[in-house]
Parts: sequence; structure tokens; C-alpha cells
Amino acid sequence: MKSLLRQHRYALLITVRRLLAQPISSLTNLLVIALALALPLLGASFLISLQPVARQVSVTPELTVFLKTDAPVGQAEQLARRIRQDHPDQTTQVRVVPKDRALADLRTNPAWEQALKVLPNNPLPDAIIVELAAGEDLASRADEMARSWRKWPGVDLVQLDSAWVQRLEALLRFGRIGLFLLALSVMLVVLATVFNTVRMQALSQREEIGVARLVGATEAFVRRPFLYLGALTCTLATLISIGIAHLTLSPLNDALASLARTYDSEFMLSLPSPLVLIVAVLCVAALGALSARWSVQRNTRF
Amino acid sequence: MIEFQHVFKSYGQGRNILADITFQVAAGEFVYVAGPSGAGKSTLLKLIGGLEAPSRGSIQVNGQRLEQLSARARPYLRRSVGVILQDTHLLFDRSVIENVLLPLTVTGLASSVARARARAALDKVGLSAKENAPPIELSGGEQQRLAIARAIVNRPAILIADEPTASLDRDTARRIMSVFKDFNRVGVTTVIASHDDELMAEYATRAFKIEPGKFADSAARRTAASATQPNSAHTGPQEPHLGGNV
Repeated sequence: MKSLLRQHRYALLITVRRLLAQPISSLTNLLVIALALALPLLGASFLISLQPVARQVSVTPELTVFLKTDAPVGQAEQLARRIRQDHPDQTTQVRVVPKDRALADLRTNPAWEQALKVLPNNPLPDAIIVELAAGEDLASRADEMARSWRKWPGVDLVQLDSAWVQRLEALLRFGRIGLFLLALSVMLVVLATVFNTVRMQALSQREEIGVARLVGATEAFVRRPFLYLGALTCTLATLISIGIAHLTLSPLNDALASLARTYDSEFMLSLPSPLVLIVAVLCVAALGALSARWSVQRNTRF
Repeated sequence: MIEFQHVFKSYGQGRNILADITFQVAAGEFVYVAGPSGAGKSTLLKLIGGLEAPSRGSIQVNGQRLEQLSARARPYLRRSVGVILQDTHLLFDRSVIENVLLPLTVTGLASSVARARARAALDKVGLSAKENAPPIELSGGEQQRLAIARAIVNRPAILIADEPTASLDRDTARRIMSVFKDFNRVGVTTVIASHDDELMAEYATRAFKIEPGKFADSAARRTAASATQPNSAHTGPQEPHLGGNV
């Protein structure tokens, strides 16, 4: 066991020595891989940051039922009761917004205040706001309810307020597939870069490999420094890519913060959680070692 | 210690470099393999060292049948055979002691023990003073001695050397041969291929002679090698039989 650990320590030392022996070449490789890895990392940051926004809104989708302006007083309350009775499991809250309160609310908005003053009477209808319970197939259930309520007497319009959230979700789904394809392409770039780096190293270490075999080195001993080279290069490159992504998100967040403030909201792009980043570093390191293994197996047959 | 039974060696579909070679070398012998260039001396040594596999026949080295040895087991056999090839194959980007440490590193020996053994090996070949020097600063004879130190540091049972004195002056060549003789005296079986019959006759206890072969076909086969015994001081347990009418 100790002997194996010593051999691993030797392989690691040799790897670091080889990396340091060609600093420019090593650095260029690291940067190429790091820049390639930064792209899916930034993509993941966008998706991860947007996902809670979509999820937060989509769990409380609302249907707004607007009554005709000439609907009799009390019909809104009657319809609200009917909705509660017909859909007790599918609704979480049903509340009536009388037209007078809606007008009063609108008047508090300075932009509407002047326009409303010139109107002879209240143009707004009574409205019922229905919060739907989250669950399977929410979008189609909401559509079905809206279609049914539209046919009720006194109902003028039923509006699904969460339509934009569904569009955002569809967009995020598209983003996730795009990110997956991007990650796949980047993986191929990493594989190819590590493969080539190890190939060049194996060719330049030809003499050393020959001597090691001559004095009784096993193939595992010969390959080990190259596996470390692949894993170490990928680990360093992933760490650099996290740094690059962090630096890139900083100015973007400044700009987004200004935009979000105009909507009286707070929104920030953030990197995936530390745990996800650690898993990413380990996965890319394993990918590097795998590519190195493949390369060294092909390029040390002499 | 070393046993060849009807060994053939050819590359691809080409002629036999070695054909129907049969001999035995006992433990502690000092054998000299003579013959002109291209006769197959280096190939013979590589077969002993497990660096090449025979095309046909059976080879036993240090109690292990090479043809039955798996690829994974082969490196462990190599650790019991110290090999010095015609080109010293030193690592010029490492120091003298680092070159000698390599065979010990592959076995995973503790650093302090390995360093002590590497220093002892350098001491035996007279290179202690230059352990931190790069091999490029050594003379031809010193580089050869460094290659010997690297070959013996693992305390091999067998030492094989291909033309170790080829490019050296007479005095240096004698010093190198004395080093081999010293190891042979403590029981290391030594097989050396060389052109220098006169020098080898002074040290070896037995000699093999390999003649250049002909193209091998079913109608006309060649004599691959013949054994001679220039020094009667140590005859070994059995007369070597090299080749025959192959």
C-alpha cells in the first residue's frame, strides 16, 4: 500500500515537473480548456438564476374572471361561490375585486389619475381572481377551467395570468437543451485538447518511457503521470473557468441590478452552488484522466 | 539461470535473425557473446531480458518461462535482469543519482532506502562524486558506468550488456569490464555481447559465437551460432549448444 502511495506521489511530482518545464504551453492549454468550460458554466448560471423566478410565479398561477360591466350587483360573489364549490381541490383562493375598489386602486396610480377624472362613470367591471393549486398538468387544467367559465352568464373575459410564465418555462426548457448540447460540445473540446496534450507529452517522453520499461516499470507506472496530467490540467482549467465566470457575472449583475430596480425588484445572476461546482470540477477531472488514458494507451505503443 | 530451447526469432515475415538456438547458462557464469554485426547478438540479449518475445521456442530466465509470462508479469521479470543496451539510454534531463533512482522508484521503494542504495551503486562504479551532475557532463566511460549503476541498483540476478565497451579507449574499457567482473564475482550471472574478442577473453569464463544467418527456408537452413569456451576457469554446468543445421 505504502509502495503504491509512493508511486502515486512520484507520478504527481513528475506531472507537476513536466507542466512547469513548459510553462507557456501548459498555460495556453489551461486557458483554452478554461475558456471552453466557462461558456456552459455561464449558461448554467443564467438558467439556475432564472429558474426560481419561473418556479416562484408558476406555483401560484392565477385566472382572472372579468364580468360584463352591466352585470348585476352581487353576481361576482355568486360566481365566486360557484367556483369554490365546483373546484374545491383545484383552487387555493378565490377573491372578488369589486369594480369600485379596482377604480380606487387605479386612481392611486398617478399615470391614470388624470385620465380617470374625465370619465363620467366607472368603466371597470367586477373581477374574480382565482389562485390555482399547483400540481400535474396545471396549464391544461387552467385552460379547461377558463374555457368553461367563459360560457357562464355575466362573464365577459377569462384571462390566464400565468401565460408568460409558461412561455418562460418553455424558454428555459429550450435553454436547458441548448446548455446540454453546449456542454457536450465543450466536453469534446476538452477531450480533444487533453488527448493532444498527452500525445505530445508521450512523444516527448518517449526515451523516459522506454527506460522505465527497461528497468521494470509496469504499464500502470508508465501511464500514471499522464493520467495525472489530464486530471490536473482539467482541475486547474475548471477552477480558472469558475474564476472567469465569476468575473464575467460581476459587471452583468451591476447592469441587471439597475434594470431590476426600475421594476422595484431584485434579480442577480449567480454561479451554481459550491457543491455543484465541486462535482463539476471532479467530473471534468475524471473526463481529463479518461481522455489521457485513451491517449497514452494509443501513443505509447513503442 | 538462463535456458534457450530451440529458439527462433524473426521480425514479421522476414528471415530468422536467430534460428534454433539452444543453450543453458548457469548461475554465476560470465558469458561473452561474440559475432559480427547483424548476427543477432543484441536480439539474443533482448530475448534474455524479456524485451523481445521469441517467434518460436522456449526461454527460461531466473526460473520463469518467458513464453508463459503474461504482459503484466513481464516487468517484474525485468527487475531481476539488469540491462545495459548499446546506447546507454540515460535520461539527460535528470541528475546522475536520479537516473540510478529510477529502477528503485518503479518498485515503490522508500525514498531514503532508495537513495542509500543508489549512492552505494554509484560508489561501486566510482561515480559518487558526481551524483548531482547531469549525465551530459560525464565522459563516455562514466556514462557507461552510470548505465551499469542503474542496471545493478535493483540487485539483479542477471546482468546483460550489449557492446558496453564499443566506443571506449582500452584503459576505460578495461575499467568497465572490471566493474562487470566485480559483480560477477559476487554471484551475478553476466552475459555480454561484444566485438572485442581479445578483451572479452580476459574476463569471460565462456563464449558463444553467433554467425550471420542466411534466409531460412525448408530446403536450406542455416547455422545460427556456435559456442566456444575460451577460458577454462569456469565452465558452467553444461556445454552450450547454439543452432545446428537449422
